[in-house]
Order: sequence, then structure tokens, then C-alpha cells
Amino acid sequence: PPVSAARLAGERLCSSGEASGGSGTYTRHGFVYASLAGCLRRSGAESGLPVVSVVRDAEAQLLPDVGAVVTCKVCSINSRFAKVHILYIGSTPLKSTFRGTIRREDIRATEKDKVEVYKSFRPGDIVLAKVISLGDAQSNYLLSTAENELGVVVARSEAGVQMVPISWCEMQCPRTHTKDFRKVARVQPQFLQT
Amino acid sequence: QYVPVKGDHVIGIVTAKTGDLFKVDVGGSELASLSYLAFEGATKRNRPNVQVGDLIYGQFLVANKDMEPELVCIDSSGRASGMGVIGQDGFLFKVSLGLIRKLLAPKCEIIEELSQLYPFELVLGMNGRIWVKAKTVQQTLIIVNILEACEYMTAEQRKQALAKVSGN
Repeated sequence: PPVSAARLAGERLCSSGEASGGSGTYTRHGFVYASLAGCLRRSGAESGLPVVSVVRDAEAQLLPDVGAVVTCKVCSINSRFAKVHILYIGSTPLKSTFRGTIRREDIRATEKDKVEVYKSFRPGDIVLAKVISLGDAQSNYLLSTAENELGVVVARSEAGVQMVPISWCEMQCPRTHTKDFRKVARVQPQFLQT
Repeated sequence: QYVPVKGDHVIGIVTAKTGDLFKVDVGGSELASLSYLAFEGATKRNRPNVQVGDLIYGQFLVANKDMEPELVCIDSSGRASGMGVIGQDGFLFKVSLGLIRKLLAPKCEIIEELSQLYPFELVLGMNGRIWVKAKTVQQTLIIVNILEACEYMTAEQRKQALAKVSGN
């Protein structure tokens, strides 16, 4: 069974006679040292020496792929685009959020030049979007909401109450009855919870 | 502290010129942006003559708590209607937002009494900024002092002050 114990980078694990170094380790002067800070994993190799390795995270990081539907939260808006934090990929939550951008022309499929970002998203909205590109050097994924099923799912009004969707472009606050403009997602009825 | 409101006419100071956008200080928490195409008769070839440090009289196209405010010097029909770069000379000073609203009321007594005194040009910005220009520097400064003092003077005190000035 693999023994997992916390190890620091540079810590001496064992001598190269006892085990050989795997990933996350290096060998110097006849000893095996850790090159990462993480958990020690010892695999009993049948032929030859067992292999020790240091892994940082037990599971590999899940990355958004082109065409994947992601759930994100709008952090700031601009007249040209909206910046979002990607929270979920499909239905799996992410440990560390990625950053994404929804450009003004990718918000809707029709009438792209009449779109106003202020009337589609606001900071704090939860949005379903699709990844269209892995992004540029600043590692900003490019997202799009140009489909009926994509767009704002949860939004709060100025009063702080969660708003109810009325149509594909409007939401209403149940307490103050004020209407706000959003690009609303048409969620399938089986996913709605009342 | 002034909070930008859509449709308000304000006096701004140009602080930076980046490519096709000007950054304008309007006395709020953020700098407003002003596109070089937002002037009457401006095209990509025909750029307006705006330098850093110029005074601009414009209105807010976009002003909400989520986005950076945007100024334009053009109204909805494309005409300038008094907006644009404010000319050379003159004097810019700040007063309270309440005094501006009082001065902008129709048939404001203060403005009528001052216009009996000397002819002058006056621009009022809803962000608390006033620009005055009269024929001489001395006249300009007199008008500035009276407008600043109007904050706390009563009507009689103001009439006395004007009488004293016009008597001199």
C-alpha cells in the first residue's frame, strides 16, 4: 500500500540503494531527494527497486476543453467584454478558479452589434457559458453565451434578492418588482428546482 | 463627492490622451473616458483639437456603478449644443453641488443680478465646477468671489456686496 506523508522540497527521502527516484524527485550523491512539496508515494515494483515519487495533488487538475459548458461568475464588466471566474466545469467544482472573457460579440447569436454588455450581465451574476478558445498569453479562456441554453442563471437585484426570469432578456425582483435586463439562459425544466 | 449620473452635464479636465480615447477627471471616484469621435463633425480623419489639461463640457452617456463612466460632447441628434472644449482664459473653481442646482434653477436671482454688473461667460457643471470669463482678470475674480460667497450669504448681503462692487 502506498505510504503518503507530507514531504518538503529538498528533503532527503532515502538512499538510492533502497529505492529509485520517480516523478517529483532527483538523485544526488547516492541519495534520493524530493523536488516538490507534497505527498510521498512508494510503489512496490516487482522487478528491481521500488520507486518513490512525490505528488503535489492527489487528483490531476481538470482543465476546460474547447466546447465544454462551464459555470462562471462575472467579476467585472466593460463596454466591450465581461471578465468572469470559471467555477465549475460541467458539474465538477474547481479547486482554483480560471479566468475567462466573454466578448461583446459572443454574448448573443443574433443582432450582435446591438448588444449592450450592461444589459446582458452584471458583476456577481452566475452564467452558463461554452468555451470557444483556450485563450491568449494571459491565460484568459474565451467563452461564449450565444445559445438559448447559455446565459445568466442566477442574478441578484439591487435589493439583494434573487431575481426570477421573465423572458430571455428580462428578470424581475420578487420583492421590489423592478425589471432588469439580462441575457437569461433557458434551463431545461428537469434541472430547475423550486 | 460627485457621483456620475447619466445625462448630467459636467466640466471635466483632460488628464491623458491614449490613442483614440481621452481620460477626463470629473471629480468622481473614477476617471471618465471620452472618445475622440464624440464631438460634432469628428471623423477618423478629422480629429478634434483636444490637449491634456483642456477643459471639456460634456454629458454622461454611460454612468452606473458597474462600469467606467463615458462622456460625450454631442447630443442624441449629433449636434454639439454648447458642449465641447471650453475656450482659453477664464477661471475654473469648485462650489458645493447644492449651489449649482440653485444656480441652474430657472430665473436664478444670483445670475440675473450678476449680469447687471458686467457681461461675462459662465459654464456650470453638475459636478460642482464653475468656469467664468469676463473682459478683465479683475472682473473675473470679482464674479468668482461673489459666486463662492453665495454659498452662505443671504439675499440682502449679496445685494449689499454687489452694490459695493458696482459703486467702486
